[in-house]
Amino acid sequence: MSLRDQVAIAGIGCTEYSKDSGVSTLTLASRAIMAALEDAGLDADAVDGVATFRVGDSVLPAVLTQALGVRDPRWYLDQFGGGSVSHAIVGQAALAIHAGIADTVVCYRALNARSEFRMGGTGRPLVDAVETQYQAPYGYFVPPQQFAMAARAHMEKYGTTQEQLGRVAVQQRANAVLNERAMMREPISLDDYAASRWVVEPFRLFDCCLETDGAVALVLTSAERARDLKKPPVLISGAAWGGGQTLYSNQQPDTTRSAAADVAPRLFEMAGVGPGDIDVAQLYDCFTYSVLVQLEDYGFCAKGESGAFVASGATARDGTLPVNTHGGFLSEGYVHGLNHVYECVSQLRGEAGARQVEGARVGLSTAQPGYIAGNASALVLRSDA
Amino acid sequence: MSEVFLPWAPTPDRDSQPWWDALAAGEFQLQRCSDCAALRWPARAICNRCRSFECEWERQDGAGTVASWVRTHQAFAPALREVVPYRVVQVRLYVQDDLLLVGGWISDREPVFEEAVALEIVEGADGFRVPCWRGVRE
Repeated sequence: MSLRDQVAIAGIGCTEYSKDSGVSTLTLASRAIMAALEDAGLDADAVDGVATFRVGDSVLPAVLTQALGVRDPRWYLDQFGGGSVSHAIVGQAALAIHAGIADTVVCYRALNARSEFRMGGTGRPLVDAVETQYQAPYGYFVPPQQFAMAARAHMEKYGTTQEQLGRVAVQQRANAVLNERAMMREPISLDDYAASRWVVEPFRLFDCCLETDGAVALVLTSAERARDLKKPPVLISGAAWGGGQTLYSNQQPDTTRSAAADVAPRLFEMAGVGPGDIDVAQLYDCFTYSVLVQLEDYGFCAKGESGAFVASGATARDGTLPVNTHGGFLSEGYVHGLNHVYECVSQLRGEAGARQVEGARVGLSTAQPGYIAGNASALVLRSDA
Repeated sequence: MSEVFLPWAPTPDRDSQPWWDALAAGEFQLQRCSDCAALRWPARAICNRCRSFECEWERQDGAGTVASWVRTHQAFAPALREVVPYRVVQVRLYVQDDLLLVGGWISDREPVFEEAVALEIVEGADGFRVPCWRGVRE
């Protein structure tokens, strides 16, 4: 039997997002999980599965389950990886529930990405990856450089402009203004964008996501059981992951195509919907460019046309496809993908307050589209109502 | 000649050691599959087209075109503070279009998308040697 609509997200929780949490990732994870369980109306004793992903920057899940008093987790996943796998862990948890291995799984991500382990390199050793040796000698070793490289190719090949990148940042900030969780709530204009400093050309400061301390947790259980819990269930209609090609695999000559293009067809097929059915999309936005390439590769516009698509206003909150309604990593905070799922669930429940997209029934939430690790993952969620 | 900035020595692994050894000796080499003749980089034991474990190292000129480039302004480590901004190019080799390498850019000017580039092996401060590229038209 297909996984479609069999498993639900029954609870969501998060911590405050800040530049310095002052607490451990164990504490952050515990707070987010207890909030998610409270949201679902479940006790921690109900948890029999746990899933997370890390890059050596967060508490061991075994330590976490001990801290929570979960005596015998029947299913667990400690996935090595970054944003690419953020949605895959949710899909895998759904599989475990669907297979009857676990009843209630908590998916979480906790990180002190500003005060302890910065992705930008400061204070942490170079990544232990095969390709590091081919990049580090040139002072090329952090994600802003790697994504800027891909963005430049897209700009040169398709005429995507600096201003179009800027519009992504401006639209998302406008959403964050309405989001009480967001770290950046002052509106910005295209002029502000153009005046922000270069980080790595062609990226300015406002092309780059925030560095955030925080955690998000999701409680998953069967759709049937979720209907008896506190909140209206949000069903996992589609879950897909895969891809795998990088610049170091000799099978990907076009750097303007992301792994999202591999994942999208099977994601929509499982969910039984197409891009035109998506009411709201939370697209992984480590940088403005990743939003553009995903608009193309998930099929919302033709290849090379994402810049014009964004400039048309289509992705603004009042457009045909509201994108990153929470402000995304660029303005809400960087919780490595799971804050996108949190916002997607909020929208589909009708709980998004001032930034609610009217009538949102079907949502897309996506992971990093594969520029570093090669893989991508994504979820199609829908309200059960 | 403008200076290429090379802050850190590479850390070879067991697969890549021959590649680095060749560079140290002044040669740019690629692996060619002995069975299907596909080139591959970076170094690894198996061909991802025909799954053969047989290969030879082959001298290449490293010529290609600019696929992309970036100019780093923010110093992401203390060692970079004195040298920002600096450019890194991504080069697509003529010999096979899925061979994309990043490297130092030997020029003070901005690269041009898809311009022809030639390889030059440049020595870093600790004596290691890495591939870098310069525009053919200068």
